Amino acid sequence: MEHLPKMITVYIAKSIITMNASMPRAEAVAVRDGKILETGTLESLQPWLSRHDHKIDEQFKDSFIVPGLIDPHLHPSMAAVLLPTYFITAMEWKMPWGTTPATRSAVEYDERLKEALSKPTHGELFITWGHHNLWHGPISRSRLNSIDSKTPIVVWNRSFHEVCMNDAALELLEIKEADVENATQIDFEKGRFYEIGLGYAIQKLNPYILAPEVFKEGLLKLKEVVHFGGQTTIADMAVGLFDFETELNTQAALYENEDNPFRVELIAHSTVMQKGNSIEQAEELIAKLPERNSHRLNFRKRVKLFTDGAFFSQVAQLMEPGYIDGHHGEWLSTPEQFEENVRVFWNKGYAIHVHCTGDLGLELAVDTLEKMQDEKPRFNHGFTIEHFGLSTPEQVFRLSRLGANISANAYYVHELSDIYSNDSVGYERASSMARIGTSFREGITTTLHSDFTMAPAQPLMSMWVAVNRINEKGNVMCEEERITPQQGLEAITINAARVLGLDHEIGSIRAGKKADFTVLQENPLEIDPIKIKDIDIKATVFEGKVFNLKSQ
Amino acid sequence: MIPVTVVAGYLGSGKTTLINQFLKETESPIAVLVNDFGELNIDAELIDNQDSLTLSLTNGCVCCKLSDDIGVSLESLKGKDINAVIIEASGISLPIKIANYGLSWPGFSLKGILAVADGQSIGTLLEDKFVGYTVKGQIEQADAVLLNRSYGLSLEALNELNKNIFLEEEVSNYGDLLSAKYFAKHFIEENLKEHATFQSSIFTSNKPIKREDIKKYILLNPNIQRAKGWVCEENGVCSLLQMTPSECNFSPSDFKSQTRVVFIYTGKLSPPEF
Repeated sequence: MEHLPKMITVYIAKSIITMNASMPRAEAVAVRDGKILETGTLESLQPWLSRHDHKIDEQFKDSFIVPGLIDPHLHPSMAAVLLPTYFITAMEWKMPWGTTPATRSAVEYDERLKEALSKPTHGELFITWGHHNLWHGPISRSRLNSIDSKTPIVVWNRSFHEVCMNDAALELLEIKEADVENATQIDFEKGRFYEIGLGYAIQKLNPYILAPEVFKEGLLKLKEVVHFGGQTTIADMAVGLFDFETELNTQAALYENEDNPFRVELIAHSTVMQKGNSIEQAEELIAKLPERNSHRLNFRKRVKLFTDGAFFSQVAQLMEPGYIDGHHGEWLSTPEQFEENVRVFWNKGYAIHVHCTGDLGLELAVDTLEKMQDEKPRFNHGFTIEHFGLSTPEQVFRLSRLGANISANAYYVHELSDIYSNDSVGYERASSMARIGTSFREGITTTLHSDFTMAPAQPLMSMWVAVNRINEKGNVMCEEERITPQQGLEAITINAARVLGLDHEIGSIRAGKKADFTVLQENPLEIDPIKIKDIDIKATVFEGKVFNLKSQ
Repeated sequence: MIPVTVVAGYLGSGKTTLINQFLKETESPIAVLVNDFGELNIDAELIDNQDSLTLSLTNGCVCCKLSDDIGVSLESLKGKDINAVIIEASGISLPIKIANYGLSWPGFSLKGILAVADGQSIGTLLEDKFVGYTVKGQIEQADAVLLNRSYGLSLEALNELNKNIFLEEEVSNYGDLLSAKYFAKHFIEENLKEHATFQSSIFTSNKPIKREDIKKYILLNPNIQRAKGWVCEENGVCSLLQMTPSECNFSPSDFKSQTRVVFIYTGKLSPPEF
């Protein structure tokens, strides 16, 4: 008997926003075996439908279908560490399992903590994340003891740069006064560990936070978060932050199955792969990684490199006039080493993703790319600027001529532009962080990412920030750099696919591509742009399989 | 408490040569922490002393790696037969940050910071658009600087950044240099030993403090012989204080965490009230 093709499913919707410029709108899309056969109307699909078994699926008839959303840069392992902790935060955090309300005073903070501790669900060590001095008042060992002296409690600061413990936690972790009395960044009296003291505390905490079952729980929670954000593709933009094998094996065990509604693109972290070797040896190891690929988890010819320090920690490297207080940023490798590393991967034909946060960090990346183009010209090379915190219009112009892509964390504008205006770099530069409007005008392939856990893993949130540029104070920051909703949706679909080198398979809805969809209650291109982030996501479709979401 | 010495300096300045030379000369068991970023695994191979330990490090922030290589390495040295630790900072490190491990990791103390500079490239590096500031910080923050290949150079510009500059040819024994014979901190300790009347006190504060108030305090207490440390002001800017009987200087510093000043004095000293 001849093998019969599987049944065709035709989804109909109020509108299908295809992100394929040749046929931007459709009413129906026919799917077979995880792939799109054709988009159009029920009438125009007849040549297929009249010849093959099919069913019309009307479950999305009152909704809008867009291509499956893509977050091209987040960190599953960071998320896996954070998500099992108990959130008590100054900002509201929407999560699949419930919304963490904003907690804005010391009294409220203590109440929330007491309430959490009264539930029997926590393990041997209770870790809470989100404490912020400005909102929740100074934290100390005695304050925690007065809330609960029996349960070991660790309070992890919003910034990740400090922890505070009660007596029970110090006892559990065997941290004794005599051992730490001379350490200047450990305040034993107050139970506080910061900066280098934090390193000491983390070392004691690691058996708890990186315990296999906790890490697994965290990755399973991330799975819900990714689905909740309407994403069908994510990229782990630096495998091996903590431990390469654990991260890869745990993700493979949890995500490589029929019930997983997304794929993970894996990008090797060159420094991790290099440890103890030359950069050429690191390249050889990275070249072999695709041997470990599976259906949903794939390494390709991509690598992650770094120029300067973190944007949130104010260690981005800035050009003149620098930071208002005169401090300087940090390099993550010497410019000479960076150039040498780029050269090795460039010459082997890799797409190179470069973490750049400040304009001086970006300058190094642009200068280096220019040098590579002089030495060995390449086209469509996929050299991508990751984060894109501060930049100059002239740098964006050069990036365009050199053929680079940009993957921006637009959320910087929302969370940091106000405080960076006042306390870091001044209004002109703070308001134009993530200079995305210019990037689109220069014709650069531009995408948006969350860098989760730096920003919520919700592409519609990233799109909302890029389209509105409204900061947490409610002010519009640099309206000239806003993009249109059409550009915003391009950024989180087809452009994200291009930046990951997957635009031949995903990122738009057209014949031949994978049937990845995100189903929305409203049309993101026609709704009042200020509501984009609140659009209800009804379901995602991953390679033809429907994954419903509870109403948000 | 195991003493920690930081050896800083830009790529190719001669840090490894110096450490290697020292390891050849010494018989004392020393641990060397080598920063493993790019060039530096080669250095790890160069450093070879059978009685000593060499540990590799990578860069990055503990908050995004959940591990602190320097801290973990120091912790692993506890209980081992080690007399001292030398940390070879990476070419892009500001030494103060690394020196903080000597001050803040339980069980260790800071001996001092030695910077190494290459005379033939230091001038260009100080002007470099990407690393000029970092290289300047490496020279400024060191207790002493070893200047290699300095023939034909004028030292004036470097002396503006650091007064304790030693030329390669002045150093007869690397051990002396590294074991901090020339270090300011060592000088303080020597004074303490030889002059029983000298005492020291450490003042730390998390509150912002005006430079002027520190200066006033020093002027009002002429029995203070020397002071060194960091002063953090209201605007978050910290500066490096260096006071000798002849001068009292503040220079810019990236140090951030708190005000921390060591006073060396004779007789009695009432604690400052800032």
